Amino acid sequence: MLKKIFVLFLLTVTGVALWQSFRHAPFGENRVGDVENPETVSAFYLKHSPETLHTANSVTAIVVNFRGFDTLGEVTVLFLAATGLASILYRRKEDEEEEGGHLPVRVKLKSSTLVRTGAKILFPLILLLGIYVFVHGHLTPGGGFQGGAIIATGFLLMFITYKRFNVNHKIMVWLESLSGLAFVLIGLYGLVAYGSFLQNIPWTGRLNDLISGGLIPLIYIFIGIKVATELTNVLDTLMNTKPRKK
Amino acid sequence: METVLLILHYAGLFLILLGSVFLFLGALGIYRMPDLYNRLQAGTKASTLGAMSTILGVGLIQPSWFIKLFIIVIFIALANPLSSHALARASYKAGVKPIITSDTDEYAAVADEAGKPKTEKNTQTL
Repeated sequence: MLKKIFVLFLLTVTGVALWQSFRHAPFGENRVGDVENPETVSAFYLKHSPETLHTANSVTAIVVNFRGFDTLGEVTVLFLAATGLASILYRRKEDEEEEGGHLPVRVKLKSSTLVRTGAKILFPLILLLGIYVFVHGHLTPGGGFQGGAIIATGFLLMFITYKRFNVNHKIMVWLESLSGLAFVLIGLYGLVAYGSFLQNIPWTGRLNDLISGGLIPLIYIFIGIKVATELTNVLDTLMNTKPRKK
Repeated sequence: METVLLILHYAGLFLILLGSVFLFLGALGIYRMPDLYNRLQAGTKASTLGAMSTILGVGLIQPSWFIKLFIIVIFIALANPLSSHALARASYKAGVKPIITSDTDEYAAVADEAGKPKTEKNTQTL
């Protein structure tokens, strides 16, 4: 009872605070403005992403170029989340030996032949789709984060199908670190050559070409590799966590 | 050429309509069927056919997309029955009983054979 009253009180306080702060905000009004009006932000983006950057996908132009620094922060957040998860689930070697090194959680049932064969066929297709999505990030919907997540689902399929499917942890960590480093180095190149972090090169190619948009596809490829390896590492950590002995 | 495109257009529209009907029936089946196995088969069969014919219909209306869409159809044909099979098998192993129980259980013998924690044959490392 007391708990319920406390929850109600908290909800009321939060509600009043939210109402107070948003009371004068013009909800529902078109604050972005119409696309035709050249003074608004959306019009600026829609005008400049095809004309000066030559990227067909305006969202990618915004994410990687106009606010690329923010994307670097997002990648860092993902990295920190993966690191935090690994450190929570980390167990020392001696602990495992004490408990007789019993099997991970996932080793319980054998998958059927159908599933194993199907996973073998689907795995490369899923990887290919993921790579396609992040390579075409500046042309079609999708990009580094989405492509990376698709690749990680491919690895998840293999993890749950084959009992002892393992990825080489060292290679994954190296790939992840190197792609993150490459992102920062590209940013620093912009800083050194053109005076601002992540500044795009002036040569941006032709609209709708695969190699266009200057550094955008390169950055998105690195983001894709980074996200894919990071999520795969997370899955690997989760899958190989051993049950605690009661 | 014009007439061919027109015929393709209407064939595509018909396929999309057919696909929508099957998708609707699949959703209805998931809602109405009594137990897990019935729902699985309603959902999978109807949605496989529905999605495939919808996508093929789009391919007929827009012939330049046809190859890409055909690859998606192949992917669905591969992945959809597979996932349904895995789900049904997992729920059988987990002990989910169908709503109408009978004495015949032909899968039991096979399942016992396959379910044993055998040797580590199916290992693969990448």
